[in-house]
Amino acid sequence: MLITNMEVPWKLPHIILPKPASSSMRPQGAVRRGAIKSTLKEELQEKSDGSSEKGDEVGEEKLSPEEESASEPVNLEVIGTNTGPTMFRLPSQDSLSGENTVSEEMLAEEARKKSKEEEAAAKERAAQRQQLAIEELVQSERNYLRMLQICSVDIRSSLQQLQPPLANLDRLFLYIEDVMEVSSRLLSLLDRRPSGEPQFLQTLCDSFLSLSSDIEAAYKEYLAYYNQISIVENSYKQKEALWNEIVRIIKASAPEVNASSLSFFLVMPVQRIARYPLLLQTIQKHTDTSHPAFKLLEKTALTSIALNCRINEYKRFREVADKYKKTETLTIKDKINRLNPHSIAKKTARFSQQLKHETGIKPKLVDEEFDAFEGFFNILEHGILVLLENVETYLLHLQRFLDCRTEEFDLDMDGEKSPICYKEITTALRQWILPTFEKRMRTLIHKPLCALRDLLVGPRNLIRKRLDKLLDFEMIESKSTLSYDEQAVANTYRTINTLLLNELPRFNGLALQMIWSMLGTFSCMHKDLAADMEQLFQSFAQQLPHSHLHPSAFWEWAESAVLESAKKLQTVCQNVEDTLNAPVVQPLSPSSQRRLKQLTDKHGSGKIYQVASTVVGSRDLDLNLARGELVAILSEADTRGDKRRWLVDAGGRRGYAPSSKLIRYHQAMEDPPPSPHLIVPLDVTGKRRHSYTPESQPMPMRVVRQPYFQVIAAYDFTARGNHEVSLRVGEPVCVLEPYDKRGNREWSLVEAISGQRGYVPSNYLSMKPVEARPPGFVF
Amino acid sequence: MSVTSHHSFCLSRIPFKIGQPKKQIVSKTVERDFEREYEKLQKLEDQTKKLHKDMKKSTDADLAMSKAAVKISADLLSNPLCEQDQAFLDSITALDTAMKRMDAFNQEKVNQIQKTVIDPLKKYSGVFPSLNMAVKRREQALQDYKRLQSKVEKYEEKEKNGPAMVKLHQAKEELRPVKEDFEAKNQQLLDEMPKFYQSRIDYFQPSFEALIRAQVVYFTEMYKIFSELTDQIDQGGLTDEQRQRETEAKLTELRALSIVADD
Repeated sequence: MLITNMEVPWKLPHIILPKPASSSMRPQGAVRRGAIKSTLKEELQEKSDGSSEKGDEVGEEKLSPEEESASEPVNLEVIGTNTGPTMFRLPSQDSLSGENTVSEEMLAEEARKKSKEEEAAAKERAAQRQQLAIEELVQSERNYLRMLQICSVDIRSSLQQLQPPLANLDRLFLYIEDVMEVSSRLLSLLDRRPSGEPQFLQTLCDSFLSLSSDIEAAYKEYLAYYNQISIVENSYKQKEALWNEIVRIIKASAPEVNASSLSFFLVMPVQRIARYPLLLQTIQKHTDTSHPAFKLLEKTALTSIALNCRINEYKRFREVADKYKKTETLTIKDKINRLNPHSIAKKTARFSQQLKHETGIKPKLVDEEFDAFEGFFNILEHGILVLLENVETYLLHLQRFLDCRTEEFDLDMDGEKSPICYKEITTALRQWILPTFEKRMRTLIHKPLCALRDLLVGPRNLIRKRLDKLLDFEMIESKSTLSYDEQAVANTYRTINTLLLNELPRFNGLALQMIWSMLGTFSCMHKDLAADMEQLFQSFAQQLPHSHLHPSAFWEWAESAVLESAKKLQTVCQNVEDTLNAPVVQPLSPSSQRRLKQLTDKHGSGKIYQVASTVVGSRDLDLNLARGELVAILSEADTRGDKRRWLVDAGGRRGYAPSSKLIRYHQAMEDPPPSPHLIVPLDVTGKRRHSYTPESQPMPMRVVRQPYFQVIAAYDFTARGNHEVSLRVGEPVCVLEPYDKRGNREWSLVEAISGQRGYVPSNYLSMKPVEARPPGFVF
Repeated sequence: MSVTSHHSFCLSRIPFKIGQPKKQIVSKTVERDFEREYEKLQKLEDQTKKLHKDMKKSTDADLAMSKAAVKISADLLSNPLCEQDQAFLDSITALDTAMKRMDAFNQEKVNQIQKTVIDPLKKYSGVFPSLNMAVKRREQALQDYKRLQSKVEKYEEKEKNGPAMVKLHQAKEELRPVKEDFEAKNQQLLDEMPKFYQSRIDYFQPSFEALIRAQVVYFTEMYKIFSELTDQIDQGGLTDEQRQRETEAKLTELRALSIVADD
């Protein structure tokens, strides 16, 4: 007894102030200790002997609260035989575990008396301990939150000022704010009542229970993410100078604690969540079962355990998922290095298993439910990728459209309404309407789509990994006993499969919803754009000169106006070409005219050239030629094939002349004699297509000298209808148009000497140079 | 004369050096008028070509954008995703119908713009080569004129004996048609250039009106189509911020799934 009594004060500080490290290391132990309403002694025993019967029994109790409460009366009964109806755990247990063999009445009486005193003292002590335990919870929560604040506010802001900026700094503090928030909410609930009050326990439990789901949510993410925090911190540790600087900041920011790393603070939530069960159970242990809040406290303690279990479960799933969902970015070298007999054997086995499936040797393990989810995921993935690609194409063309600065022209029409309106409209739509639309398109559709695409990677990799593991699993499935490794393979498969079955439908559903709402947004954006544009265009359209016209009337007017203008333009074009492109023709002397006739008769008009400047022959058979002399070309090369020396006929004399000094003798451009030998250059035909419009050929300034030519009929022609005119051979005619109404050059409109007009075949006409000018028939 | 030195049609083809005649052939005023009118035309040519090019590019981009929008809905409609959910299929079908109608209206708009804006612009640009050629011919004629004029002047300065008189007569005979030719061409251009320049206003007026009217029709129709569609497939009246928040919430929910890799 003395021993136990002495043990109490010795043990007390240990229970009330468990070291964070040990409590987080053994949460299960702590749970068990709390769940058994054990005495200190028992606890000691249990600590030394983990496999005690009591421990096992309570292990079951922990699972179901009902069972636990059922076992309580039994406990009470046992205790009741020695201590009476009021149960004091500490002394009663003492008497059970102590030497019960003391049987003297006196001693018993004394013991009874003593136990009454002790009872009172123990009651007092228990109340004190309970109070201490409660305060421990509240106080440690307060300290804990303060540490987190130091870390996430003071230290973080100092770290943010480091130059160069720390990489991934924000990742260190990713979920800590949620944890702090839930902690401060808990504290503020607790602060509503002083901790000394008897009802405080009730408040404590209520607060904890009301926040338990929030606590779980906040710590779940923090714990699952904690590995990343360690990775980031380790990356800082790699750089010594940087790390020293970080440590200096830590020490300066929190001098009261002996912290030398960030994880000193950042690990606290990990420890804290595991500590709640321990703290609650300690309180429970020092709380009388008759206490009004006892049941609630019990429930709270159990909740805190269940919460830890779920967090651990979540963490485990996340770890498996994290292991396989990431796409590994390995270089080929890394991949080769990774190849080892084990991995090769694994891959070969999977491959052969797959072959067996394909060839039908072995039946495939079919999971219809999973296959449906996977199928949906596949088409969803395809849909997202195609949609994203199309949206990008759309944005690209939109950008191209925006790049066309169609308002930047200056046709010197600034007095006119319509070009000004057009410029103003285009400026507005290029500078704000469409850019706004594009920005919305990017934020509301393109960006979320990109994010969605990135999220596809995880499930995609897990699905792939599931198949690998399934193949492994199939091979060992039939075995009756599994080795440790095989057990691990089976477990991995089951975990991945469960994970996917649980989460893939949710993923699919959410992603589909996102696409759906994006399309709604897309439509709405088009509506808004159309509304803006319509308003803009409409407001300007009303100012236009033809705004009063109905659409159909307007388009009729616009199209005919455009056609009319085009015709006028054609006329201008024709005038310019006809009149200004005509070459100057020098009058010919009578002797030259004679030679022209002689040469034309002999060689045809196409062969006539004029000498550009005086030629003095230097070689055999070269001719001396005067400037302006006319010659006919016999051959465009000399006997040796030299294309620079042409053989010419200079009206009787024949010989060579340098081709560079000869220029084609141009006859009248407007009405080239439509002789059968005349080759009409193609481009001229093209340009002249519309020139048969009579009014298109007003040539007011025509002063060009014409050669003295007379067009005559080369053969007799008899008109076949009244649109043709009959001609006699040699009859002089006046060519009115060297083509018919459709521009066909095979027919010419002529006026005969009789004054009759009509068409004749162009190749029936010839021409001859004339000495005198017969009035009215000269061209 | 200064014209030849800074104009684009500067003649490189003149085979021999021209003697400068003493007589002033074209008055400074005329030459200045000519230069001014021609410069205006050259600027008009540049601007017309630029506008034509920009209009064509912008129309092409407009068409491509409309086709891309059609492809967005058409590809979704052909995705088996639609077979999974009738309501989703209905939405996509409605979207696709709207896109195709929009594209049809766009095509009509573009056709009208092609007919009333782009084609006329192209035709207008097509006149400039003829004008430039005419200006070049005038310049050639001017050079010929100068050459012969200085030749005549040379003989006039010489002794008036028999052979010289014959040569003078011949030179004068040669000069006459060349002089007339130049004067005709010069006058023609001085008349035609301002007339042509002035014609741009009446010429382009209908084009710009048509350009605006075509879009009014298009956007009026587009508004009708998309109002209807939005009522059908969009949850009404959300602000962009609400939409962003909603999307962000969904993304957060997705990221919270263990199977999703978040980084």
